[in-house]
Amino acid sequence: MDATETTEQAVARTLAEAADLRSAYPRVLRLMAEGLGWAFAAAWEPGPDGAPPLRCVASWWEDPTYDPFEGVTCSLALAAGEGLPGRVWETGQPDWIVDVTRDLNFPRARVAKTVGLRTALCFPARSVRGVVAVVELFDTAPREPDVELLRTLTGLGDQMGLAIERRRAEEAAHIGERRNRAMLAAALDAVIAIDHRGRILDFNPAAERTFGYEAGAVIGEDMADLIVPPSLRERHRAGLARFLATGDGPVLDRRVELTGMRADGSEFPLELTITRIDLPGPPTFTGYVRDITERKHQEAELRASRARMVQAADEARRRLERDLHDGAQQRLVGLALDLRLARSRMDSAPDEAARLLEEATDELAAATRELRELARGIHPAVLTEGGLEPALRTLVTRAALPTVLTVAAAVRHAPPIEVTAYFTVAEALTNVARYAEATEVEVELSYDNGSLIVEVRDDGRGGADAAGGTGLRGLADRVAALDGRLDIHSPPGEGTVVRAEIPCAS
Amino acid sequence: MRIFLPLAGGEPNPRGSVLPLGRERRSDDNAGVRTVLIVDDHDGFRHRARRLLEAEGWEVLGEACDASEALRAAAELKPEVVLLDVHLPDVSGLYLAQALSGDAAVVLTSSRDASDFADRLSGSGACGFVPKAELSSDALDALLP
Repeated sequence: MDATETTEQAVARTLAEAADLRSAYPRVLRLMAEGLGWAFAAAWEPGPDGAPPLRCVASWWEDPTYDPFEGVTCSLALAAGEGLPGRVWETGQPDWIVDVTRDLNFPRARVAKTVGLRTALCFPARSVRGVVAVVELFDTAPREPDVELLRTLTGLGDQMGLAIERRRAEEAAHIGERRNRAMLAAALDAVIAIDHRGRILDFNPAAERTFGYEAGAVIGEDMADLIVPPSLRERHRAGLARFLATGDGPVLDRRVELTGMRADGSEFPLELTITRIDLPGPPTFTGYVRDITERKHQEAELRASRARMVQAADEARRRLERDLHDGAQQRLVGLALDLRLARSRMDSAPDEAARLLEEATDELAAATRELRELARGIHPAVLTEGGLEPALRTLVTRAALPTVLTVAAAVRHAPPIEVTAYFTVAEALTNVARYAEATEVEVELSYDNGSLIVEVRDDGRGGADAAGGTGLRGLADRVAALDGRLDIHSPPGEGTVVRAEIPCAS
Repeated sequence: MRIFLPLAGGEPNPRGSVLPLGRERRSDDNAGVRTVLIVDDHDGFRHRARRLLEAEGWEVLGEACDASEALRAAAELKPEVVLLDVHLPDVSGLYLAQALSGDAAVVLTSSRDASDFADRLSGSGACGFVPKAELSSDALDALLP
């Protein structure tokens, strides 16, 4: 076996065993240079994107004479076609220069002359993607081109190309894996992967937070036992078994709402998407889980508040009918009877008829007054015509207790805002008069951060229950319907503050 | 002469809102002073109804402001007619009419209109309905059996 064959086998073995070509380069370069009798060897690769410029990624030499040559080699960045490595990169063919010091396209000619390097050969390392690296060898004596040697080295170059390609694929896979890990770790949704038997393969940090288990404690465990409520476990297992048997998975690849179970046994509503991971072998599945407790709660509250508003509107209409029936309507009935009696007495008892007409006039005045009050209670005309400030001034003037009104700016707002603010004050004043045992009241309208702030403060006995009265509850719903909020602060013995915050920025 | 007027439906009512409730009446049976018990929870109405009916020749035997008082008064005073408000604070006048109608002719009344009660008046055992604003001796006479 000659030196070329020995070198070829040694290099091939090194490449096959190399886990990482970067670390194998120095050994490969040394095996080639020593085995074939060359003084200096270098390997060149393009950048991470696989395109030139080429840079020297590894080199080998023994004689310190060549240190300057190595220094210049390492400092170069060669374009395609530039210098010996650039040319081989561009053509994909091996090349041989008998005397580099006389070559017109050899940027290192001067330093080569200084250190005494003359002959150079260079061959490509190729993969399916084309040239992925080039390797050059230098020697001091002029050597004529050796076609056989170039053929052998080109074969080795192809093996190196495969090794480089393998390394790149592994690096890419490694980066992809790291990226996937990072995505799983950063995901706000719980991500759980299971195998075909339902055993947990993956359990990301959001899953740990959602279900209250450490990933380390649940990997390999049966998922259904841990996070599926007992009442749903059989259904889950039957679904998995049916999919494995028939490939029919009605819950796959769409959002479903189910109930999950935490480590402490508590159950909660969740939204789940299950996808099958398409890999060879038995199927595995990934579930993306979102805790929708808060959303469900908000939906329920929204439904309840809508229902309450409808009820409140119905109740208001019933009350209105009752008020009309018991008030003005009764008076008008009385009026009709008085007038009928007066007419029948006109001739026989004119004095009595006159007295009856007098009574009827009073009754009519009372009916008119009651109707006016009622109309004002439904919607005060001054609110529509003049806005919140004059409407509140009128309201405060009629209040049962001394009431001070402060208005930051008399600005008009959309009718729903004005009406809600007005009735907040009206309801609060009614409550003060009925329950608070207060001596004075302050009503204040101000603005804060794009919201209208309505406050009614009294110095009464406090202890008002925000959830108690339907009036306050109805107001809270009204305010909430405008994306605002109603707060009641009423510590016993310290008065009550009713505060509505209604967004009013246009 | 016998008059029968249907309760519900589009038939025009010749006496306005005053409504007999499916009973036949005898027009030759109204001689002498008639007696009435007025049942209503509104003082103002009781007072005016009494004044009006008395002026028109009725004898008002008593007044009651709720159902229990009405039952007691009816048993004690034995009026020929009970003028009964549909809306009472304790029991609906529609139920009370059934209890009273065996011994007296019950005329229901309300500040609402007959149409507000759909067909519930006719099953009450009362012999008629008169809106409060249209109460008069003639209106009652027209409804009585």
